[in-house]
Amino acid sequence: MKDLELARGITRRQRFLRDRTLLLMTLPAVVLLLVFNYVPLLGNVVAFQEYDPYGAGITGSPFVGTYNFERLFLDNRFWEVLVNTLVIFFTQLVLFFPLPIALALLLNSVLNDRVRAWVQGIIYLPHFFSWVLVVTVFQQMLGGAGLIAQQLRERGIGGFDLMTDPGFFKFLLTAQSVWKDAGWGVIVFLAALAAVNSELYEAAAVDGAGRWRRMWHVTLPALRPVIALLLVLRVGSALNLDFEQILLQRDQVGPGAAEVLDTYIWWTGVRTGDFGYATAAGIFKGVFSVLMVLLANKVAHMLGEQGVYSKR
Amino acid sequence: MTPNSPSTPSRRSFLASTAVAAAAVAGGFPLLAACGGPAQGGKEGATGGKALKAILPKYVPTNLSDPDIPGVNGSSAGYTKLPDPLATSVKGTPGKGGTFKAMTPIWGTVPKKDNAYYTAVNKALGATVRFDPQDGNTYQEKIGAVLAGSDIADIVTIPGWNMQGQIRNAVVSKFADLGPYLSGDKVEKYPNLANIPTGAWQMSVFGGKLRGLPMPSPVIGNAIFYRKDLLDGLGATLPTSADELLAFGREYTDARRKRWAFDDLWVCIQKMFGLLPDAPHYWQLDGDKLVHKIETAEYREALAFARKLHDARVVHPDAEANKDADAKIRFTGGGTLMYNDGTGSWHGLASEQAKANPEFDMRALDLFSADGGKPVLYQDPPAGVFSFINKDLPKERIEELLALVDYIAAPYGTKEFQLINFGVEGTHYTTKDGVPVRTDRGIQEAQPATYLFFASPPHVIAYPDFPEVVKEYAGWMARQAPHVRKPLFFGMQIVEPQRYASLYTPFDDLQKDIRRGRKKVSDIEEAVNTWKKSGGDELRKWYADILEKQGSGR
Amino acid sequence: MTAVLMDPQGVRETPLQRIDRTGRRPVWEEEPTRIGQGLKGVSLVAICLVVLGPLWVVLVTSLSDKKTITEAGGLVVWPGTITFEAYEALLSGGAVTRAALVSVGLTVVGTLFSMAVSVLCAYGLSRGNSFGHRPLLMLLMVTMFFGAGLIPTYLLVTGIGLQDSYWSMILPSAISVFNILVLRAFFMGTAPELIESARIDGAGEWRILLTIVMPLSRAVVAVISLFYAVGYWSQWFNAMLYIQDSDKYPLQMILRQLVLQHQVPPGAMGQAVSSGALSSLAVQMAVMILALIPVAVMSPFVQKHFRKGMLIGAVKG
Repeated sequence: MKDLELARGITRRQRFLRDRTLLLMTLPAVVLLLVFNYVPLLGNVVAFQEYDPYGAGITGSPFVGTYNFERLFLDNRFWEVLVNTLVIFFTQLVLFFPLPIALALLLNSVLNDRVRAWVQGIIYLPHFFSWVLVVTVFQQMLGGAGLIAQQLRERGIGGFDLMTDPGFFKFLLTAQSVWKDAGWGVIVFLAALAAVNSELYEAAAVDGAGRWRRMWHVTLPALRPVIALLLVLRVGSALNLDFEQILLQRDQVGPGAAEVLDTYIWWTGVRTGDFGYATAAGIFKGVFSVLMVLLANKVAHMLGEQGVYSKR
Repeated sequence: MTPNSPSTPSRRSFLASTAVAAAAVAGGFPLLAACGGPAQGGKEGATGGKALKAILPKYVPTNLSDPDIPGVNGSSAGYTKLPDPLATSVKGTPGKGGTFKAMTPIWGTVPKKDNAYYTAVNKALGATVRFDPQDGNTYQEKIGAVLAGSDIADIVTIPGWNMQGQIRNAVVSKFADLGPYLSGDKVEKYPNLANIPTGAWQMSVFGGKLRGLPMPSPVIGNAIFYRKDLLDGLGATLPTSADELLAFGREYTDARRKRWAFDDLWVCIQKMFGLLPDAPHYWQLDGDKLVHKIETAEYREALAFARKLHDARVVHPDAEANKDADAKIRFTGGGTLMYNDGTGSWHGLASEQAKANPEFDMRALDLFSADGGKPVLYQDPPAGVFSFINKDLPKERIEELLALVDYIAAPYGTKEFQLINFGVEGTHYTTKDGVPVRTDRGIQEAQPATYLFFASPPHVIAYPDFPEVVKEYAGWMARQAPHVRKPLFFGMQIVEPQRYASLYTPFDDLQKDIRRGRKKVSDIEEAVNTWKKSGGDELRKWYADILEKQGSGR
Repeated sequence: MTAVLMDPQGVRETPLQRIDRTGRRPVWEEEPTRIGQGLKGVSLVAICLVVLGPLWVVLVTSLSDKKTITEAGGLVVWPGTITFEAYEALLSGGAVTRAALVSVGLTVVGTLFSMAVSVLCAYGLSRGNSFGHRPLLMLLMVTMFFGAGLIPTYLLVTGIGLQDSYWSMILPSAISVFNILVLRAFFMGTAPELIESARIDGAGEWRILLTIVMPLSRAVVAVISLFYAVGYWSQWFNAMLYIQDSDKYPLQMILRQLVLQHQVPPGAMGQAVSSGALSSLAVQMAVMILALIPVAVMSPFVQKHFRKGMLIGAVKG
């Protein structure tokens, strides 16, 4: 790139003058990010302090080196929490991620526009429910005194309680996510499907490829870049499970199954007041996420996909 | 906490015991933990002996009206009637026209601003108190954030159960020392504050200085309530031992009819087994050795019993799912026959149900020891909720505010009490046969929760509109009172060093895991070993040191 | 390293698309089998039922009277006596009405603000070789994975005087970097030749943005607006932290208090529930429905843009 521009004879200064309007346009966003994301980011320094938010503050609290990190890495609870987080993440990845794709394929095969629009309109409705509502609805339906347990009891079948079963918790979370967001997730895949050149289908059909072969050889390859992109992003936010969803249900199954990194940071920080420790856990999470993105992106590149970013 | 119980003379007692209930719900969190650490030596520990005596306000009880049911053995007195005429405890107008911002928690209906009740009370106070009540259920997070900032209200209420983590530390850093205004004889300037018992003031000493304005609590603030109307219909007799309680559960749980015998009874199950309370009262002396609650046999027995209830499927599934906020609704709806709550909700539920369900009759179960004998009931801390004054206020403003608080702390049977608790006659309540009856507007606006947090008179049971509840309630408390014992560090405000702050936290999760069938009772041993190794034994020494230097609270 | 969200080329519409608006089958496609059709129909109906079932129960319960709810022992599946009491109580003035207005205001102002900032930023970064766009992109992307702690953020927001200001519910989370990247990718794929030739003709960037890019990007703008709007509509966390004045609470705060703690906001309703005339469950369910209505009403108008506008995003709402 640079060589090209040098060849064109444009200096940095000229480029700056040429693009100053563009730069000006980015200014509001940059200022917002600097103020609300970067300035508080400096607060992460408390991970290296014995931090007292009420008396000494950030400027006055003593530095204790990597003490908080040592405590973190030596703490069994932290590792348990990390394992929990990853288990829940992988459960969601395996069980949730393919569903919107499948739904999109199904919807795409519906030729009647009106039917498709209606179905789509219906399945993304739950996305607009907040987690409080989703969890309440699930409790009322699936809880031990819920609608379904009660119907079963009336028919003489013993009650069950999926809401308090720690072993089932990861599936419960996935089920809630599916109900809430699978329909919403369809949107992107439907859009990608709409962009597939129909000549490819026609050519494949003329070559004698049946319905399934066309899906395999035309449709799925067309979806690959989108799938790769979303997978990379998803992996990058592996430790970012839905905080509110889990916090709301943590106590009903106990922390053994439900404590994840975000809730752990919340409890140790805001509840126990151990901000240095909680911030150290937050930094770990950030570093881990960046590494995951880099890794996933690398894998995507190796598979010939573009991922989130590419080297140019 | 269910909010909408119409307030009555003893709304204060409702709150006081709500406080205790919520503290119990909050469970094993180290309530009294503060940041020690290199930066702030001197904040941790406790204050006792001479140092304490010099700080505490003198106790000058006022006796304006005799109770209809006198207290015995420390139980709260009961009032079934409203004295006529009402006494006056404050002469003139206490305020000087100042304006004060207040931050208080609220569990009930958030009242509209500038309503007639606020206007009337502020007028009587001669000053303007501006409230921004905050959701009591997220108050912990809110207070943690607000105190870290610079924009702190003039007077801030912090319930004891919200004093987790470094909140105590914040109290010491951000709020005024009231000693110069209240210690010793100085309190006589504020007769209604002098009427607050010494125990409650002792709890208000933070970091060696008198910083809090207390809300005194009753000696026992929690009960197992049962539905007498439903039990009579079933022909049930009341259990008098743990085994009978379990049998009762098996007999009267009928899941197909959506009826379970119990809600979450853990708070009172602990009492049945004579379990020690939570921090810092979780120590007892065995010879001359301090023994922690989690090391006792009672702890294991109580959990084993709670586990039996779980296994027998006699606890409402929503309670097992930790939906504590709905406990009252399950109880009033007939979903549970027994539930555990602060005693203050007695009157609240009774008056709420009076119209909707005239049959509704709730009573409190006499607590028994697990083996059927006399129970050992550890006394609740003498104050559960505190208010603090911003240390940046100048002297005159602090004095004005204290005068307002003095007005607010007026005892039952005074005009001041009547105004704070009921509002304006004719607007917020009407008097029928000497009994004040709240109007719809009164229910909406007159929320004494706001003002009463600043400091309140000693606990009494006073519901002239429901004399039956007063009789039952006062009778029940009088029957329990002989069994009440003071825990070792009773009434002491002990600030544990920060390094022990999260030591006890795992036990809160552990007891829930055991009671709900996710872990075994035997898992306690490993947790206790971890506790000992990671600081439990040091903490024991630390407390032994306090015991030696400051004495016990008994 | 250049950050690009996907290949911008992919966003451009292919000339021949398999979008047959009449619903006719292309000639080359074989006749569907009966079983296939049947299975497809059954699964579509099943999916819709799974979604609509709980919604139906919520709706019916919100419309039921106390007796019906007590008899059902909770949620009502088959409607008994229908009443609008819960809605009347909620909307009879007082906190819920006020909070709904606050939410609407926040959503409108917030979405406009977020869109303005995001569109400007996305366009500002959309020129392939513009000055400084790489470091700026890095600056944006880092925030996607690295967050600041709660307390530092709180101190900053209150420190700059936003406590109890409506802006405290807008500014701290006003922009989503992900949304900006989606917009940018779309802009990059939109008529690059047209933009380039306009630039050569000497048109200013503002003019290009307003007269060429925006008219062509209606789809993505609609979709991203919906994302922002849903975000503003459903937020509560900022309100919990920064707002002390209950007059400024958004609907979601009230809703949480109502659903989680059975706190009843002021107004006629508090008394109706406490005196036992109204079921608190019905009130809870009614608030759920009320909170759902605006977004549900709005989204069909945006839905038609999904196809074009949402080639990339939709993992976040």
